[in-house]
Amino acid sequence: MEPGVFQEVRTMLRIRNLKCFYGRIRAVSGVSLSVRRGEIIALIGANGAGKSTLLSAICGLHPQWNGEILIEKQSLSGLKPPDIVKMGISLVPEGRMLFPPLSVIDNLKLGAYVRYRKKEHREIEGDLGTVLELFPVLKERMKQPAGMLSGGEQQMLAIGRALMARPRLLLLDEPSMGLAPFLVRLILDVLVQLKGQGMTVLLVEQNARAALQIADRGYVLENGKVILDGNASELLTDHDVKRAYLGKDYREFYEGRA
Amino acid sequence: MPIWNRRDECYDADERLQQQMERLQSALNRAYNVPFYRNHFARHGVEPSVVESIEGLSRIPFIEPCHFSENYPYGLFAVPLRDIVRIHTARGNGPLPVVSGYTKKDLLIWRELVARALTAAGVSSTDILQVELDPGLANWGRDYKDGAESVGAGVIPMTTLPPEKQLMILKDYKTSVLVTSASGAEQLVYHLFRANLNPNELALKTLILVGDAPGDNVRGNLEEQLHVRAWLHHGLNEVPGPALGFECEERNGLHVSEDHFLIEVVNPDTGELVKAGEEGELVLTTLTTRAYPLIRFRTGDRVRLLQGACPCGRTLRRVEWLPHRSDDMMVIRGVKVYHKQIFHILTRELGFEPPLYRFMAVKQQMMEYLEVSLGVNESIFSDEIKEMQKLSQKLSDELSLEIGLPVAIRLKEQGSFT
Repeated sequence: MEPGVFQEVRTMLRIRNLKCFYGRIRAVSGVSLSVRRGEIIALIGANGAGKSTLLSAICGLHPQWNGEILIEKQSLSGLKPPDIVKMGISLVPEGRMLFPPLSVIDNLKLGAYVRYRKKEHREIEGDLGTVLELFPVLKERMKQPAGMLSGGEQQMLAIGRALMARPRLLLLDEPSMGLAPFLVRLILDVLVQLKGQGMTVLLVEQNARAALQIADRGYVLENGKVILDGNASELLTDHDVKRAYLGKDYREFYEGRA
Repeated sequence: MPIWNRRDECYDADERLQQQMERLQSALNRAYNVPFYRNHFARHGVEPSVVESIEGLSRIPFIEPCHFSENYPYGLFAVPLRDIVRIHTARGNGPLPVVSGYTKKDLLIWRELVARALTAAGVSSTDILQVELDPGLANWGRDYKDGAESVGAGVIPMTTLPPEKQLMILKDYKTSVLVTSASGAEQLVYHLFRANLNPNELALKTLILVGDAPGDNVRGNLEEQLHVRAWLHHGLNEVPGPALGFECEERNGLHVSEDHFLIEVVNPDTGELVKAGEEGELVLTTLTTRAYPLIRFRTGDRVRLLQGACPCGRTLRRVEWLPHRSDDMMVIRGVKVYHKQIFHILTRELGFEPPLYRFMAVKQQMMEYLEVSLGVNESIFSDEIKEMQKLSQKLSDELSLEIGLPVAIRLKEQGSFT
């Protein structure tokens, strides 16, 4: 670092020119973005914009990509999902993807699967306590099958499970989907709480307003490309965000000018 | 000297690269929604995704000043008019002006850019800043007003007062910072001495010189004569933005706000990137502009990219701004004057193409103006002196009005053009 260089910027996740494919179809076409340590970043856009694909690529769940994905300067290229989890990246997937017949406590413990191999039993017990403190409602339902929980509770469980891996970077894919507004607020409040504890969050959301309200910065994706980025507070008041979010209207506007 | 935005002005190289890459892709994607850019790219067989790195930008075609007038008035806007909050008109190099727009966000960006440039020159809330620019640079006048207000300085906006009155304001209002062109400052010196005023009677301590790179010794002379420190700011007439580049306390080149603009230096003849440190034409790409994106705009300005870190701590790269131009134009009192532009005005007013003409900057009593010499042929000639005077006045008025500079017309025999 040169003298006088501002040293507070610490990038956790850096993506350069990411392209993701489904066979010959390109779902993400050259996206660059960065997430700094301790930030909440919102990735917003309409259905099919490429948001979830991008998250899948980071987690190693979507192998057909090229470009660069770096976690604190370490490349994720060629790594399998368990290796990526070990590097401190946890995903809360869209639709929660819990194990419905398993109890709440077992679902949580599965989140720490890679850590059991490292014999971190005592730490895992401690983390279980922390997660249950974060979501007191899960404590009351510890022994119930996950499939019996309400949507909001399931989302809390999914986040709790991801936290059990002790991530440095938490990725969330549409955590507000299907939830009542007060539950959305509750989930987002938890994310703010986690940020306060130093967690770095990349949040994919269709609910642009909700996501930008808690985010530091945001990126707007359209057709697999970033069309806007900036401070969340600025994006919140941006007309284009609305248009990008609605997708169709945005394209019609430009095509109408051609 | 303080730094206005330490985070953005002092990023480390790696972070800067990432930020530029992110913003470049986003800017290209937004620009691609503009029919002009879409067609322009298509003609060259490229699309935004071909740019996979900052260096990859060289695969994208240039845009030239002619594209502005070809897309008059709103053809280059990348947002709907309802998002535009300010519309600027600048003189282009052709018959039609350059119309550019700002969104609310764009205005904030320009404020920030001017504020950081002024802060680098030591301007603060304790200053009274006076803007004295020719009408041709009125757009910049507004941006300087906004930026200086952000810094907290007291602003005396642009006026159309004669030089004597400007000098009176400068003295009586205790102006400490003057934003003007080098020739504007020279004119001030002339009137100052003519009025038998001692520079020490002024509160002036800082000159911000804009418009064109001053020639050898001009800055030094001004500093000596006015007892001030002078700082250079670089901006573009075509894009309504001053202070794209600014000097810091080291005054060794101008820092370019690379978080908002990507710069390239190319060989003006081949369009190829020049080697590091070589002189060439400045090519500019806007990274954050919303309303009026410019992708690889050939500015015509000659610069040299300086190597090495600046001791001021800013990591924004520096350029040496050279006082030559690489296209068919000249800069008078900070205002760019294009050959084509004069040709169009003369043709329109005469009703036919001028047979022979030439233009040059003339300095009289330290006042610089544009002199256009017009060759008189049968179509122009009249045996009534009154008619010739009338024509001369009309041409002078029209040119002056459109270019924003004082203009003198000299009617000459065609044979006297060598």
